[in-house]
Amino acid sequence: MSDRESLDVDILIVGGGPAGLSAAIRLAQLQKAVGTTLSVAVLEKAAEPGAHLLSGAVLDPRALGELMPDFAAKGAPLASQVREDRTYYLTQSGKIKFPITPPPLRNHGNYIISLQQFGRWLSGFAEAEGIDMFPGFAATELLMDGHRVVGVRTGDRGVDRHGQPRPTYEPGVDIRAKVTILADGVRGNLTKQLVRRSSIAVGNQPQLFAIGIKELWDVPAGRLPTGTVMHTLGYPLDQREFGGGFIYAMSETRLSVGFVVGLDYEDPLFDPHVAFQHFKRHPLIADLLASGQMVRYGAKALPEGGWLTLPECAVDGALIVGDAAGFLNSLRLKGIHLAMKTGMLAAETAFEAVVAGDTSEPRLAGFDERIRQSWVAAELRPVQHVHQAFKYGLFGGMAFAGLQLLTKGWWIRQAVASTPGHERMHRRDAAGHRHATPELKPDRVLTFDKLTNVHFSGTRHEEDQPSHLLVHTEVCHSICGHEYGYPCIRFCPANVYEIVPAPDGPRLQINASNCVHCKTCDIMDPYQVITWVPPEGGGGPRYEGM
Amino acid sequence: MILVVAEQQGGKLHRASWEAVAAAQELAGDRPIAAVILGAGPADAAAALSAAALSAVHVIDSPLVEPYTPDAYVDALVKAIGELRPDYVVLAHTYRTRDFAPKLAARLDRALVSDCVGIRPGSKTTFLRPVFQGKLVAEVAAEGEPPHLVSVQIGAYRGDNAKRGAAPASVTPLHVALDASAIRQKAEEPFQEARQAVDLSQAERIVAVGRGIKAQEHLAVAEKLASVLGAQLAASRPICDSGWLPMERQIGSSGQTVAPKLYVALGISGAIQHVVGMKGSRTIVAINKDADAPIFEIADYGIVGDLFEIVPAMIAELEKR
Repeated sequence: MSDRESLDVDILIVGGGPAGLSAAIRLAQLQKAVGTTLSVAVLEKAAEPGAHLLSGAVLDPRALGELMPDFAAKGAPLASQVREDRTYYLTQSGKIKFPITPPPLRNHGNYIISLQQFGRWLSGFAEAEGIDMFPGFAATELLMDGHRVVGVRTGDRGVDRHGQPRPTYEPGVDIRAKVTILADGVRGNLTKQLVRRSSIAVGNQPQLFAIGIKELWDVPAGRLPTGTVMHTLGYPLDQREFGGGFIYAMSETRLSVGFVVGLDYEDPLFDPHVAFQHFKRHPLIADLLASGQMVRYGAKALPEGGWLTLPECAVDGALIVGDAAGFLNSLRLKGIHLAMKTGMLAAETAFEAVVAGDTSEPRLAGFDERIRQSWVAAELRPVQHVHQAFKYGLFGGMAFAGLQLLTKGWWIRQAVASTPGHERMHRRDAAGHRHATPELKPDRVLTFDKLTNVHFSGTRHEEDQPSHLLVHTEVCHSICGHEYGYPCIRFCPANVYEIVPAPDGPRLQINASNCVHCKTCDIMDPYQVITWVPPEGGGGPRYEGM
Repeated sequence: MILVVAEQQGGKLHRASWEAVAAAQELAGDRPIAAVILGAGPADAAAALSAAALSAVHVIDSPLVEPYTPDAYVDALVKAIGELRPDYVVLAHTYRTRDFAPKLAARLDRALVSDCVGIRPGSKTTFLRPVFQGKLVAEVAAEGEPPHLVSVQIGAYRGDNAKRGAAPASVTPLHVALDASAIRQKAEEPFQEARQAVDLSQAERIVAVGRGIKAQEHLAVAEKLASVLGAQLAASRPICDSGWLPMERQIGSSGQTVAPKLYVALGISGAIQHVVGMKGSRTIVAINKDADAPIFEIADYGIVGDLFEIVPAMIAELEKR
């Protein structure tokens, strides 16, 4: 379209999470140190910086300390220092406390944070340093010139649900950049496009994912000392499912309660959200939450594949950082510090390349080298097979994890070659592991249905816009019910997918405006017919304190 | 003195203006309350409003303030407030108020407490306003010099609880010099959609349908009930999502917020997203097959049963009257 506006910048960062914002702040610092001025812009699809960020979260401050040695004096919003770690193995009503905390779960020196508040703070800092922040703008397409990434296109605004322009129609903007840093998060839509259009992930082990579901609870004082970090294994998961629960005491009266499960569970009738409700009903958890109040809800996928699943993170004109690439330590359950560090390393690479006037792939490939030389590689390589090994079950996986720490990650690669998580889901008519989540009637005090929970995510979208979940519904209406029993209605934690009766048989209804942008459907659908694309900029959850 | 900014269009008083009067009466204590109303010949609306227990109804009658533009409204109200010198300016939190009140407050450089649901008068008057989508209520006080501006949420106060005066309040013209050249907006003809649009927040009775209606052709029974009750038809999101009713008839967090005298919920389960849009209704009647449906937690009258049996019986009974 001829009336499309365009904007030229030196470096464009797509995504205002910890990776993208750390890149932005590092770029501001480098400009100051060298005395050059570059134009740097950050695109963020949330209406407000941080509003789409969700994590547990326990922060390892290593990268933050490198980015901002005086972070405490600068007022970093760190809820509490970790004071105590507790790890439990749960049975349906019992618990076994681990006599010692497994080394990867020791959090001495770390902080419990709200990632949303942390992101908002980083964003304010970046803006004060002269970085142009564009909240409320979603990048929908990569702009390519042959193999070279030359920028992104933002989404059109004011398109109605039939794809026709509304009176408020505004076409998206083309933002052209010498280097584009893709910090679009777990299963980022642009990174996904790049993986499909290039060979950066060819020959890799497939990325593995998990879904994290979380609530914030206000509870009476005296339940858990501030700074307590609890992790659980076992119930309601069985030996074949990867994951566990967490409770972090952000303050005396505010608990972050969540549940993570690998998106490689085998029974299509498993329901992560309902499993989370069962988890809260366990006496250990229910006692902590009794007479408390759930105040916030959210969900987000996370990349758990580790080192061997990382794509090549440097291409002609672009770098991939943070969760978008998969920089997360699934054994330590941490990725924020790795997101920040890879963002900083990408900033250094991009800055030098732009100053040198060469942003080709050979030049940007210095990013991969920087990662290999950094503590990112030193941390991730020794645990490179861990999540993959959990295909042997919980105890096999744990034994393997211990062994890996001894061998520093050395292993015969094929021994733990993995398949994409969605391929492990069994058809209902096939033999295989069965672990359907028992039905649960929410009491709306301790346990909730998905729709009620979504309300507490603050999710809003412009209602009159095309669905941002592109689904080839033929399989939904023909074979899915028989083969998988509509797993989308279970793996989606936000009641986006519903099967409703219709005269000519059950029909899929997509409640797109419930979407909390967790990306689980794009990942876990067994037929891979769901594509998540960004809705009109500004739509999505409005996380507060998450 | 407390000044209520009433709202009218084409001589018809906005129902929510009564709610603003009720709020002002709670706030006033023994201070007098006056109202100001703007329009091109708003005499009918002013006369209607004069039934309230007010010290005066001030009328700004000018073709420049109707059709509505924010510049003209702010200009007129800044001058009216300068002349009348109220302690508080109370507005109903209508679409129009949302548009001009922030600008008015900024122009006056005074505090605006918006979307209030309650008032605690006292030595330091505080206002209650919902936060976290209604999950929590914050108690806030306005700082700085008076007047303080306060808008009250639709449905938070009952318009018919507003005290009426023994005799009609005096209706007096208020002459303010408006500068036509300072009005930067020009109202065009209403949009096609806007002309058809229903402002459900004005409806006294609403019949709302949910997924329990099952098929679009079954809407006829709800329409019939609405027509015998003299009610507007509304819906929960699934109905509007399916295109069975236009989106402007959607009630809830992604639709309109309403507080009619009567709200009849047919086949609506009562998801929190819907409830936040109608829980201020005076009388809620719920008909649902599922006795555990959350709608019954807020209903004044609940009927557990098949709406296709119950609604025709209701219609038959109402038609006898």
